[in-house]
Amino acid sequence: MPAMIELEQLTKHYPGRSAPAVDSLDLTIAEGEIVILVGPSGCGKTTTLKMINRIIEPSSGIIRLQGEDVTRANPDHLRRRIGYVIQQVGLFPHQTIGRNITTVPRLLGWSQQRIDDRLDELMHLVGMDPGTYRDRYPKELSGGQRQRVGVARALAADPPVMLMDEPFGALDPISRERLQNEFLRLQEEIRKTIVFVTHDIDEAITMGDRIAILREGSTVAQYDTPETVLAAPADDFVREFIGSGAALKRLGLARVRDVELGQWPTSPIGSGREAALRALASSEHGSVLLLDDRRRPLRWVRADELEQPGSLERLGVEVRGTVEPTTTLAHALDAMVGSRVGAVVVVDGSGALLGTVDMRVIMAAVDTMRTDAHEQDREEVPSR
Amino acid sequence: MLAGLLVGSVVGLALGMAVHRTPRARSAAVHVCGLILTVPSLAMYALLLALLGTIGTLPVIVALALYSLLPIVRNTVTGLNGVDPAVVEAAQGVGMGRWRRLVSIELPLAWPVVVTGVRVSAVLLVGVAALGPIIGGPGLGELIFSGLRVITSPNAVNLALMGTLGVVLVGMLLDGAFLVLTRVTTSRGVR
Repeated sequence: MPAMIELEQLTKHYPGRSAPAVDSLDLTIAEGEIVILVGPSGCGKTTTLKMINRIIEPSSGIIRLQGEDVTRANPDHLRRRIGYVIQQVGLFPHQTIGRNITTVPRLLGWSQQRIDDRLDELMHLVGMDPGTYRDRYPKELSGGQRQRVGVARALAADPPVMLMDEPFGALDPISRERLQNEFLRLQEEIRKTIVFVTHDIDEAITMGDRIAILREGSTVAQYDTPETVLAAPADDFVREFIGSGAALKRLGLARVRDVELGQWPTSPIGSGREAALRALASSEHGSVLLLDDRRRPLRWVRADELEQPGSLERLGVEVRGTVEPTTTLAHALDAMVGSRVGAVVVVDGSGALLGTVDMRVIMAAVDTMRTDAHEQDREEVPSR
Repeated sequence: MLAGLLVGSVVGLALGMAVHRTPRARSAAVHVCGLILTVPSLAMYALLLALLGTIGTLPVIVALALYSLLPIVRNTVTGLNGVDPAVVEAAQGVGMGRWRRLVSIELPLAWPVVVTGVRVSAVLLVGVAALGPIIGGPGLGELIFSGLRVITSPNAVNLALMGTLGVVLVGMLLDGAFLVLTRVTTSRGVR
């Protein structure tokens, strides 16, 4: 991937303070990636972000955008090429939603027809009905809706780069997760280069293609994919910042489709008791999974339960809480712990059995991730 | 009187916009305008008479404009500084220059406060303007002065009272008119 943004020896000195807020930062951000700047408060991550569109002017160093040195370009023209989303959103309260979103196209002097078309497109993109919301004012919207408008305003003139300063930080946890997921889906379509600041490592792991963990003076402690950062933290600072539960966080990144599923003895419910007992006898498991005629799992039945009288439809426990290949391992683990048999059934889109996830599968996955990360780490060391 | 208010508003608004970013200029401007307000109106008229070398309408307008400055400048400054910094930063972030930001974002948001300043000035000026006739200008004070001139006649009190009530009435009407103006000229989004 070609570099979209290059920061070279970027430094910010605030008058009256001895240590620079940002100290000779070198960072390259590839086109189409979401790069998260994350670190403790006061580490200079926001200052770094705001120097990219020069809301804060750097003391020294170079900012390159698409290869072009923009350190001394006209800042207003520069900013019209960079979408900017801030935590407090900053919608213009005296203007309608429609006017807010079309701010940059109007500054750029687009034709009215083009502006109207773009407005409709953008509102659909962020999931807001133009007819309902176009003529409303910001104060009539909820926090989540306001930030959707904020994102639409930043995207209005289709800038190649977006800067986002804790964009979902002021939202309640439910809205935040919704907006994070919506934004990731949106990104699949728009493929922008995004620099995203947060202090929340979990948000960084969810949102980032790459994470730059910064310590004081905006010094990069580690710059890598979330998987590698979690599996092979560069030093104690990174390890401490990730905090406890790194293994669990990693499970949130891996999907069920990425691991080798366990196989459980199965028997079609129509084939009767004998077939089920035979299937059980030929495996080491203590129970059998009964399937319907389209291989959809119905019930877990233990050997001793098969001895009891009654129809097969009533024996054992019903299969509940199945997962799909796109489910994260963290969710699969949750479902597994909640099940009575210590395993969760994986089904495809039509509900047919693909396999199971149990503790052995999870442990094997964790093992693989750890090895992969270490190998990748070893490969990268000589090139640094 | 309205001419004086208009001149005062334009000058006050420009002054407020010019100084609102720098704390020193800001307090200097507010102090000077406050000082002007302490000059008694009769003294102000006499002073302007000497400075401008003419009697009639001009010195009255200048005096009124000067007196109107303090509320207008102070409210312009307060209004502009009261604009949410996040909104200003967002305006900067979408690539609005300083001037455009001021005219299309900050001023409309500060507007209700600014107009309130003009309203206070308007009411204040009614009293000052009443004394305009003293230097040959127009004004409601005519009646009061007629009353004073014939202080011993039975009509004196009536004339002065009529003049005073007229002044009060004009003040009230102006106040109401500005309230309506504020409402009409403020965006629905910030009401």
